[in-house]
Amino acid sequence: MLQTFAYVRAGSLNDAVKQLDGPGARVHAGGTDLLGCLRDDVMSAEKVVSISRLDDLRGITPAADGGLRIGALTTIADLAAHPGIAEKYAALAQAAAVVASPQLRNQGTIGGNLCQRPRCWYFRGDYHCTRKGGDMCYAIGGENQYHAIFGGGACWIVHPSDTAPALVALDAKLRLISAKGARMVPAEKFFVLPDENAQKENVLAPGELVTEILLPPMPAGMKSAYRKVRARGSWDFAMAGMALTLTMKADKVADARIVLSGVAPIPWRLQAVEKLIIGQKLDAKLMTKAADLAVVGAKPLEQNAYKVAMVRGIVAEGLEKLL
Amino acid sequence: MDHDNTDKPAPATPGVSRRGFITSVGTGAIGVAAAASLVSAAPPETQADVVAAGGMSSVSLVVNGRRHTMLVEPRWSLLYVLRDRLGLTGTKIGCERGECGACTVLIDGKARYACMTLAVEADGRDITTIEGLMTGEELGTTQQAFADEDAFQCGYCTPGQVMAAESLLRVNPSPTLDEIRQGMAGNLCRCGAYAHIFKAVAKAADLKRQGR
Amino acid sequence: MKPEDLYFWDGPLPETQAPTSTPEPWTETKVVGKPVTRVDAYDRVSGSAIYPSDVILPDMLHAAILSCPHAHAMVKKVDTSAAAKTPGVRAILVDGQVGANVPWYGGRSGFASRLFDPHCRYEGDEVAVVAADTIYQAWDAVRAIKVEYDVLPRVTTVAEAMKPTAPAVRDGGNVPQAPPPYSRGDVDAAFKTADVVLEHTFTTPCELHNPMELFGCVVKWDGPRLTVWESTQGVYAVQSTVARALNLPLANVRVIGHYMGGGFGAKLDTGKYSIMAALLAKKTGRPVRLFVSREEACRSMGNRPANTITLKAAAKKDGTLVALQSRVVGSGGAYSEGGTGGVDFVIRELYACPNVKCENQSAYVNAGPQRAFRAPGHPQGAWALEGMMDALAAKLGMDPVDLRLKNIALVSQSRNGNPPYSTTGFADCLREGAKTFGWADARRKPQAPAHIKRGVGVAGGMWQGGSGGPPATVIVKLFADGSANLNMGAADIGCGTKTWGAQIVSEELGVPLDRISIEHADTGTTQFATPSGGSKTAPTESPAIHAAAFDVKQQLMGMAAEQLKLPAADLELRGGEVVSKTDPAKKVALGQIQAFGRRGLLVGIGYRGMNPAGKAVNPFAVHFAEVEVNTRTGEVKVVRFLAAHDSGRILNLKTFQNQVFGGITMGIGFGLTEDRVMDDKQLGKVLSANLHDYKLPTALDAPADKTVVVVDLHDTFSSTGAKGVGEPATIPTAPAIANAVCHAIGVRLTDAPMSRARVLRALAAQKPAPASQKRGE
Repeated sequence: MLQTFAYVRAGSLNDAVKQLDGPGARVHAGGTDLLGCLRDDVMSAEKVVSISRLDDLRGITPAADGGLRIGALTTIADLAAHPGIAEKYAALAQAAAVVASPQLRNQGTIGGNLCQRPRCWYFRGDYHCTRKGGDMCYAIGGENQYHAIFGGGACWIVHPSDTAPALVALDAKLRLISAKGARMVPAEKFFVLPDENAQKENVLAPGELVTEILLPPMPAGMKSAYRKVRARGSWDFAMAGMALTLTMKADKVADARIVLSGVAPIPWRLQAVEKLIIGQKLDAKLMTKAADLAVVGAKPLEQNAYKVAMVRGIVAEGLEKLL
Repeated sequence: MDHDNTDKPAPATPGVSRRGFITSVGTGAIGVAAAASLVSAAPPETQADVVAAGGMSSVSLVVNGRRHTMLVEPRWSLLYVLRDRLGLTGTKIGCERGECGACTVLIDGKARYACMTLAVEADGRDITTIEGLMTGEELGTTQQAFADEDAFQCGYCTPGQVMAAESLLRVNPSPTLDEIRQGMAGNLCRCGAYAHIFKAVAKAADLKRQGR
Repeated sequence: MKPEDLYFWDGPLPETQAPTSTPEPWTETKVVGKPVTRVDAYDRVSGSAIYPSDVILPDMLHAAILSCPHAHAMVKKVDTSAAAKTPGVRAILVDGQVGANVPWYGGRSGFASRLFDPHCRYEGDEVAVVAADTIYQAWDAVRAIKVEYDVLPRVTTVAEAMKPTAPAVRDGGNVPQAPPPYSRGDVDAAFKTADVVLEHTFTTPCELHNPMELFGCVVKWDGPRLTVWESTQGVYAVQSTVARALNLPLANVRVIGHYMGGGFGAKLDTGKYSIMAALLAKKTGRPVRLFVSREEACRSMGNRPANTITLKAAAKKDGTLVALQSRVVGSGGAYSEGGTGGVDFVIRELYACPNVKCENQSAYVNAGPQRAFRAPGHPQGAWALEGMMDALAAKLGMDPVDLRLKNIALVSQSRNGNPPYSTTGFADCLREGAKTFGWADARRKPQAPAHIKRGVGVAGGMWQGGSGGPPATVIVKLFADGSANLNMGAADIGCGTKTWGAQIVSEELGVPLDRISIEHADTGTTQFATPSGGSKTAPTESPAIHAAAFDVKQQLMGMAAEQLKLPAADLELRGGEVVSKTDPAKKVALGQIQAFGRRGLLVGIGYRGMNPAGKAVNPFAVHFAEVEVNTRTGEVKVVRFLAAHDSGRILNLKTFQNQVFGGITMGIGFGLTEDRVMDDKQLGKVLSANLHDYKLPTALDAPADKTVVVVDLHDTFSSTGAKGVGEPATIPTAPAIANAVCHAIGVRLTDAPMSRARVLRALAAQKPAPASQKRGE
């Protein structure tokens, strides 16, 4: 059962960032990850700052440039059900639809989904690992079937979010607010590799919040999709997954974005594969080449080499399906 | 703790009550109309009050149409408050971490895990538990469908399953089999009664469309 | 295997007196067998059923356990001073305190320890317990207890534990003396002369029961008398253990287990929590509720041992089996030698085979102790045997169903005297199941060229129990107003026991189901029954209930005979009246039988008699699966499933089907998703200690298309002819899926669960399929 904490319901965004500025202050949006982290003692909470009643941070509205603004407190369920997103940003709708379970989608927010802590069972368990300030990554020599094949080093977590790779593929931007002011960060630059900082997954400074996600207008004829492979049909995080956008011009690829989930500490963009297929006809031969290129540079651990084959399979299958 | 006494008395049922032993507070005598969703008015722009660690906060929970105003510790889950403070033990404890669905309730009509919801976060919300689907001692439509289709074995996950089904059917009154399975994907059944659960949800949809 | 083992009872089984009269088996039935709605459906779907974890008593305290975080450690010092001062704390118990020195792990498990043994042999071993006003406060206090541990070297895998240099889990070493091998015929000679010899090594995962209701109890003292509301499969077993542990007379311990949220074998044992709660309640003078957390359930509440099974099989060209040889290795954890129990039963018994040798070797490791888990050993044995049968069929170029039909056993081959089966529907299950499933066509269907491959597979199984037997006593009371009461000790753990029990009373006495009250699973008010498990409740209780109702009927007939002045043999009970068979005009309504009216009620007692000597009674099952394998991702989807079962007379078709579907779902967990993961190479802690990391099948993992085929051969081994089904329902499931996967992708997976990783590895290592495995021929 949870340990005791102070609690405040922020009356405004300004109030929230002020309250969050200090050690041991944790933000409660939907609460689905916060409560789990507290139960597992991943971090302590001296004060929980609830932003759940800041209705301004909730909702999906058209942006001035023809894109979409998504408030960070928008629930995953609302995201998945929104007709505008399903129509123009299918990868995001499809990603939202496979997050966790229906009940958690009703409660969890897009902001929370991007900022959630990793699911590594050493990180969540009674182990003082690198990410928690210790000096050892227990996955390296331990049970690492679900860990990273790219981007590992001091730590080998995979980023657990499904919506994150979709947002990277869709070229989204995040608005961050702190007591010091606001800044815009592209989704692609929001996440942090362990070798840069093994104790945080994203660029948020203490007391800083994601307040909204901006989706640019999509080029005409762009298609997108999100595929998730997991151990069971529900609840589970991705063993490997892919957000894919494809814009065709006649029979050639005009533009593409390919971003993997479940294989790296950050959403893993396959820029080399994008370059390979852009400007080309996507025939079976090129798709196979693309799939092979997707896993070049993979560094599997003892138990997760299957992810190499899995990624290859997901890329091949995804290109075939979306074409 | 203060209970709102505005609910009407239960309709008289002929014959002997079917419930013999320890009943929980609030079952069987639920008010008829659910209160409209009450969202606390946002406090003014400046400092909100911090409830100190170890302190308590006053919340108003509308549970099955009845308002309960009470002091809660910020760390108390809604599940704990429903069961241990309000005696509504129909909502079950399975894992306390959002991984099994046994504690599913409706919050503002949507299925949520009570274990993952702090009571303070449910302040002012409209909460429906399994007890709230009853009319006096009569089973609600979804409950009746579960009974008819033998959609349980040990019955422990059943309240959560019924609430998830209820939530699904309120949004999608004519779900396909696939939509039913997706809608029930947040509720574990270790006895494995899934096949009958799917049938029960389809039957409930049918009964509801018939107005029963 | 001693009868006590099948009955999950410590010590010799109590005897029941022999029945005084035995009713004839039914021919046609009006109520029994029908798909009747459960008599307690209302209670369960309304949320009004009070499960043990729902019991709220005035002034009740809440308790939480402090357990050892190390895989192996000695407790040096426990400092409860800070904990004692935390708000709401009422009592703390540690080793050495009055009453806490209760022996544990003795009896069937054979290992001497105690309640708070300072020698902690696995992560989860209990160190202290706290009672407080709220559950939150109890955990605050647990966190405030300071323990000094001497962390000891640990070993958590069988392979490591068997090395001579391994750290010792207990005195006497990690490798107990292996029991003498089972042997019949001469396997070595048979292997030398057989046409086909195959050998494979199979592995199965350590599985956790994880019933939805957690483990624990609420206890209350009333002076010297203790009442325990416990989530248990066996109230009498708990009563017996608690009385012994606390040195109380049985009469002063009442255990109530009316509803319970699943057990699957894990709740056949009494938990330390019951003793702890009783001691805390005594110390504080208040009722105490102690239910463990889900994480504790994953660490300490039992498991199905992982097994490595090496199986060698030989057959003639025509498919006749000539030899089977197995070696099974496994661990029951730190406190139990039972790492291999039950695994070789199907190997010794399921198919006719003259030469069989089975060896078993257990080892101790620093992990949670095993507990019987739905068909102990059998899913593992079937995983190996049925995979091997499939491999033999492929090698011989025979259809897998035909190969099995070639080797049907009509007698029990490993029981003394080789008694014939009272009935064996194994062959019928194979034939009828195959027909209804469309096996032949599905098997020959050409494979799709795309990357998603389809396949079908079959597997058979049987359960070593399922016959039931004494002891069981049942009382049926018929009231003068025509309503009735059924009183039995058996728990209804989800199998519909109360419902078919009432159906039997209704069948015999014509009482409508909604006029039958049921008392059960309460040592204070009901008659003795052994724990509900092992697929023995239906076969044990149904004849006893039948006999008790029959006893009432006899008395009724006697009274009616006197009143009508007709011989009792001429009378029958029909539609609430006693009617003359020869002259239907001569009749009397139940309510008009004067002697009955004066008496007010009739009491009938039924005792479970012995099963017929010289017969083996077992249930059989054959499962058919159709799967889709995504060869790019390793995903396996079970698309269609058929289960053919011989469980004798089906008492309630609705609940029977539900139970079979449930067994299939559990088998899907075994074959595809479930695996207790431990940090073997580092700290030896359980990594899958929650319901996300330990993967139970979800609604999206259970196939929507499931069929049950009932094979009923009208067994007359008892007056009801009902055999058990709980266990058979999950024995052949996983190998049927594995065999389907093999048919789909041409590679045999021998390690369960068939994770994405294993499927992809198998595909990568694949050689082109031999001619006999090609489809469409």
